[in-house]
Amino acid sequence: MIKKMTLSGVAAAALSLLPAIAMAESPTVQQIKERGTLLCSGHNGSYFGFVEVNDKNEWKGLDIDLCRALTTAILGDPDANQIVPLSWAQRFPALQSGDVDLIIKATGWTMGRDTELGLQFSLPYFFGGTQFMAHGELGITEAKDLDGGTICVEAGTTIERIAANYLSTIGVEHTMVSYESAAELRAAYVANRCDAFAGWGPNLAVLRATEIDNPDAHVILSDQLSSEPISAAMRQGDEEFVDVVNWMLAAMLIAEEEGITSANVEEMAANPPNPRVARLLGSEPGMGERLGLRDTWAREMIAAVGNFAEVYDRNLGAESPYNLDRGLNNLWSHGGVLYAPILD
Amino acid sequence: MSKADELRLKAKRRKILIQTGLIGLSIVVIFGAVVTARTNLQSLGLTSGFGFLARSTGWDYSFSLVPKTIMDPYSQTLFVGFLNTLFVGFIAIFLTTLFGFIIGTARDASNIAIKTAATVYVQIFRNIPLILQLVFLYSVLINMPGPRQAMSIADTVFLSNRGLMLPGLSVTPGVAVALLLVSLAFGVFLIWRKSDLLRGLLTWGIGSILMCVIAAIAVRPEGASLVSVPELKGLRFRGGITIPIELLGMIVAITLYGSAYIAEVVRGGLAQVPKGLTEAGQALGLTKGAIWSRIKMPMALRSIIPPLGNQWIFMMKATTIGVAIGFSDLFYIVSISITQSGQTLELIAILAGAFLLVNGGLAIFTNWLNARMKLKAH
Repeated sequence: MIKKMTLSGVAAAALSLLPAIAMAESPTVQQIKERGTLLCSGHNGSYFGFVEVNDKNEWKGLDIDLCRALTTAILGDPDANQIVPLSWAQRFPALQSGDVDLIIKATGWTMGRDTELGLQFSLPYFFGGTQFMAHGELGITEAKDLDGGTICVEAGTTIERIAANYLSTIGVEHTMVSYESAAELRAAYVANRCDAFAGWGPNLAVLRATEIDNPDAHVILSDQLSSEPISAAMRQGDEEFVDVVNWMLAAMLIAEEEGITSANVEEMAANPPNPRVARLLGSEPGMGERLGLRDTWAREMIAAVGNFAEVYDRNLGAESPYNLDRGLNNLWSHGGVLYAPILD
Repeated sequence: MSKADELRLKAKRRKILIQTGLIGLSIVVIFGAVVTARTNLQSLGLTSGFGFLARSTGWDYSFSLVPKTIMDPYSQTLFVGFLNTLFVGFIAIFLTTLFGFIIGTARDASNIAIKTAATVYVQIFRNIPLILQLVFLYSVLINMPGPRQAMSIADTVFLSNRGLMLPGLSVTPGVAVALLLVSLAFGVFLIWRKSDLLRGLLTWGIGSILMCVIAAIAVRPEGASLVSVPELKGLRFRGGITIPIELLGMIVAITLYGSAYIAEVVRGGLAQVPKGLTEAGQALGLTKGAIWSRIKMPMALRSIIPPLGNQWIFMMKATTIGVAIGFSDLFYIVSISITQSGQTLELIAILAGAFLLVNGGLAIFTNWLNARMKLKAH
């Protein structure tokens, strides 16, 4: 009998431990909460559209907004973060040494980074690939109209290979002129030496917006020649932190799907139209506990930075100077490839 | 053994010792460099060797005399670059020599206006770096009107920022290259026959043109007209000969620069012809042209040819500036191959070997020419 009692006592003790294990908080999140600030990656200068400094010396961009969203989710205040300026080469060592908590900086998910560099990646939040930009006066919208044309490209890059491969596949007869210097390449395109210019989509949009006199006179063709997944990178070994980042991204996408915006989030939370919205906005419990956060973290986050569409449009899309079409970076239901895991 | 023999032997021994030491040292240095390079490459995990030459490149470039695709192996792509370098090099050598002789003669003219104009030309183009002239010229050329607003002469010759479009004989590029080589050989043959300077030039020019016309009539593609005229279709001109703007820029820039140098060489040669010879010609009542072609130039050529050979070699090396404006000469192809394949040492060796071959050939030709032109009586 005594033995039985002991056994059941041990079982009870073990059971009481279970929820604690389930809610084990990520060490990174714990550190962030103790510190009271989230350390995000910035850039040494401006990487337009993603990480840039405006004329008031404030950071802005798609990646900065995602950092602000994560800060709100964890700490409840979008401004409780510190952006650490890092060059491209510095970003991974800085993450490993703890100078930043994660990297959200137009960083592609590659096998080498995933394995040899000891990183783990979130769900991709952006897909960027090689595209063509052409002079609008030619009246063309897709690459097969480039038949007989001249295409400029930067020599010695992967873009050079991808563009040559694609044009050969679709059978477009063309002349390729490649320049070793990016400045020479831009000058040649602007001077109309070439009909089109192959480059990384977002960079083309930025170039069009910032360095060309009349942005409306240039079109980015609809063809997507390649697609590189852009994800947030974190240190290996903190799975709970990856969960937090993934669900932060998922919540922004679900909000877009459900039509929740920064303007109507409070109203939606008060009168949720369906159980999914109710769970997402913390009108019913379950959203916070499983991640070790507050139940209302997603509501506060959307109120502070908006859903994914708002963030995209503000930084890269129609409301930004770059006017980059969403293309692949739309929801799956709108012809894109972005989707959220199932919120149950 | 006498004292003198002993000293001679000693000196001989010392010489042998120094020679052996020097050869030994060279072997050690070369061997050491190769071994160090190999170990370093191995420790970096880089592969060395020429296996990459058989792999297809997968990237495209602007200019080729022969048909090309992105499936071509590195070996063929490098060969195309080599042909492009030879093509630009020989055109530049021909044009710089032609204009160099004209301007050099003008520098020697008695007419003040002509002399001053030639002097100003030489001073301007000789004293500005070639790369600067090329980049400037290229930025002017690409800012010309586009193909749809091309400047034209009688709707047969068009100039736009894509290039110069000329009516051409309907021959394939392969035939065109063959014609060029035959014309070159014809020129060498005329020099070998020691034909008179002016008559030789005339024979060469008319002969080359006749040969081209005959070739065009004989081997033109079925149903094609004798002369094809460029015509704007879609995004570009079709038909005729298109000289891409990069090639045009290269030829013009190198010609402007090189002509100034050769003009100085020619002027120097003419200045060395004794005044008495010219005066003797005048006394005989020869015309100015006859004095130039029969007295001054044949005499001057002896001192012109050796430095002229140097200039030719320099013109060939000058084609490497193509990389600045996207012209696919050998250096450009090698430079892109290095970034795309990573085989730096092998590619640099190929580049060096190719230039050694071409410029070695040019040097031998210059020596032959010099021997040919030597005054036998002296």
